Amino acid sequence: MRVVYIVVVVFGVAAILVDHLSSPSSGRAVSPEDFAGACAPCGAPCPSKK
Amino acid sequence: MTTASLAASDRGAAVRIDRLFLGLALGATAILVALVLLDHQPASAALILGGFGLGIAFLKAEFSYTASWRRFVTRGDASGLVGGLIVIVMCALVVAPVAALSQRYGGAIAPLGPSLVIGAFVFGIGMQLANGCGSGTLYTVGGGSGRMLIALLFFVIGSVFGSLSLPAFLALGGIDPVLASDYFGAWGGLAVTLASIALFASVFIAIARKRGAPYQPSRNYVIGGIAIGILCVVVFFAGGHPWSVTFGYTVWGAKAATALGFDLSHAAFWQWPGPKRALTDSVLTDTSSLTDFGMLFGAMAAAAATKPFAASAWPPAKSLLAAGIGGLLMGWGARIGFGCNIGAFVGGVASGSLHGWIWLLAAMPGCLLGIRLRPLFGLSRD
Repeated sequence: MRVVYIVVVVFGVAAILVDHLSSPSSGRAVSPEDFAGACAPCGAPCPSKK
Repeated sequence: MTTASLAASDRGAAVRIDRLFLGLALGATAILVALVLLDHQPASAALILGGFGLGIAFLKAEFSYTASWRRFVTRGDASGLVGGLIVIVMCALVVAPVAALSQRYGGAIAPLGPSLVIGAFVFGIGMQLANGCGSGTLYTVGGGSGRMLIALLFFVIGSVFGSLSLPAFLALGGIDPVLASDYFGAWGGLAVTLASIALFASVFIAIARKRGAPYQPSRNYVIGGIAIGILCVVVFFAGGHPWSVTFGYTVWGAKAATALGFDLSHAAFWQWPGPKRALTDSVLTDTSSLTDFGMLFGAMAAAAATKPFAASAWPPAKSLLAAGIGGLLMGWGARIGFGCNIGAFVGGVASGSLHGWIWLLAAMPGCLLGIRLRPLFGLSRD
């Protein structure tokens, strides 16, 4: 199980690094709730907006 | 105790530190913190470190919503459930008024409707089969449980399926979020929120008394609850919203699916502004992912600092199957039901949003069903 964990941690951190270095990242961290019209933590719209 | 035995005891204590995994956890955290600081984002670093603290607090206090709820459902033992409310009270004292008074901060809100109820119910089944909820999965994976590694993998997969299903479930209908502060103002909303927590606590205690079961949380749980509550407030101020866990899983899954060649960008969910940005931007700009990473490595550091990490054998295949199915159900349910115990229940109630209590009431029957299914996978009902 320890070997699996080492692989997962190393692969996971590498994946984060690759994603971070290849994606826009200059802005502050946000939640989908920060966007206009969001009505839930995942950014779903309000029923009244439909 | 003699000097020799003290020395032997000291040597024993030193041997129990797993330097490899302690180094991995601290090194990974340092890398992530350095990356966000290079982008001049101290709030993001605070989210990672807040998550790191949460991982330690959850692991040390053995804070488990899943086991607490199971003990309540099977034996009437409300001690863990009441202990969990300490976290919500601590959060509510800050989140409810600040979110109502300041434009910079927001509460955890969600529409009320079939999607919320169905999602929470399914999540309840999954958390009992997997033996961990959103936060529980994170800190037990961080703590070295291979079984929960399987649960997390399927949680991530399930949440991507959930993201594809959510628009159809929202189309079933519903009403806009009901927030106490909208009706009673910032401080009146806080009073109503605290009163609702007191009401539910009294109901839990009454049920425990009736069944002759304990209801007072242990000292460990009280201290853990206070520590977790304080860290939730830190995360709230750093991220601008109450702590949430499962959106990060959805983002990880969607990014992995995209890397494997699946195009999610045309799905309705991934065209909403928030998810759309999360899919295209760095995972380190998503508040939920930042605390999730911190929590994983915090729990790993805490576990590796006290004993050999992940030294136990893999559990039986049936148990792994339960973890996988449970993870899948939790992932799907969390997306349909607007979050897990943390994002929907703790965050929702602490924000004075009615959906938090509805989530709890819908998840409980799901837990009951999940507990009844556990023996099929060789798991006990207790």
